[in-house]
Amino acid sequence: MSDAAEITGKELASFTHTVERGKIREMALAIGDDNPLYSDPEYAGEQGYRDIIAPPTFGICIDLWSGLDFISLCRRLQLNLVKVLHGEQEYCYHGEIYPGDELKATCLLKNITDKGKMRVISLETRYYRTNELVLVARTTIIERK
Amino acid sequence: MANTVFYEDLINMEVLPPLKKPPLDRMQLVRYAGASGDFNPLHYDDETGKAAGTGGVIAHGMLLMGFAGQAVTRWIPNRYLKRLSVRFVDITRPGDQITVNGRITGKRLENGRGLITGEVWAADQQDTIKLKGIFEAELPVKG
Repeated sequence: MSDAAEITGKELASFTHTVERGKIREMALAIGDDNPLYSDPEYAGEQGYRDIIAPPTFGICIDLWSGLDFISLCRRLQLNLVKVLHGEQEYCYHGEIYPGDELKATCLLKNITDKGKMRVISLETRYYRTNELVLVARTTIIERK
Repeated sequence: MANTVFYEDLINMEVLPPLKKPPLDRMQLVRYAGASGDFNPLHYDDETGKAAGTGGVIAHGMLLMGFAGQAVTRWIPNRYLKRLSVRFVDITRPGDQITVNGRITGKRLENGRGLITGEVWAADQQDTIKLKGIFEAELPVKG
């Protein structure tokens, strides 16, 4: 616990991510979401967007490809990989995410608590395009003991 | 013409049209691993699943949240969605067929803004709940 407790409230990762058009489409295809807003710029234009946009759970893709992937996160927090579950996920949307966006993100460790046979870890990641906040993600992961 | 939904169009406690997904298969899990970058072997290797006590591979929680996001943005145009928050309550396996349900749970006008809240949940073919969550949106108000 000592090492984990020491890093509570600290920055776990700070990273940049360039949003790719193909990755947006790939995420939508993987989910099976046929909303043309994720693939058809002309349709997106008719809907008032300047280009296609990212689907609501695209943040995970930013984290795992440019920030801390699952294995690095477990190592960093000294968690046993096979005992870790994703407990909760929240996204707060402040603006659309478009292809070509250069996003800067910072992931903070908000809290670690032991509850019986579980260790509960809360993370918060904020994503900015230049100085404009576009997305906030809150993640709860659980390590079963 | 842009798709829109007005604050007045949604009725409190209204049940929203369910989104029925095709049965999950392993190819979708592999595809989602590649797309999201989540290469936890629990999602493609049965032995890891057995070691973890799930009996075999299970779906990514975030894939289920992706289904929830798909459903919510069918109900509410993307630009109005302000928050989506979910809890992963049970594991999902290949072969499970997920349906995402939702309903409106609250409406209020605040300084001319039409705020709505709703519940979203995903369940399999046996009505076992896999994911539970809430969403919030800010909708335009009719003149």
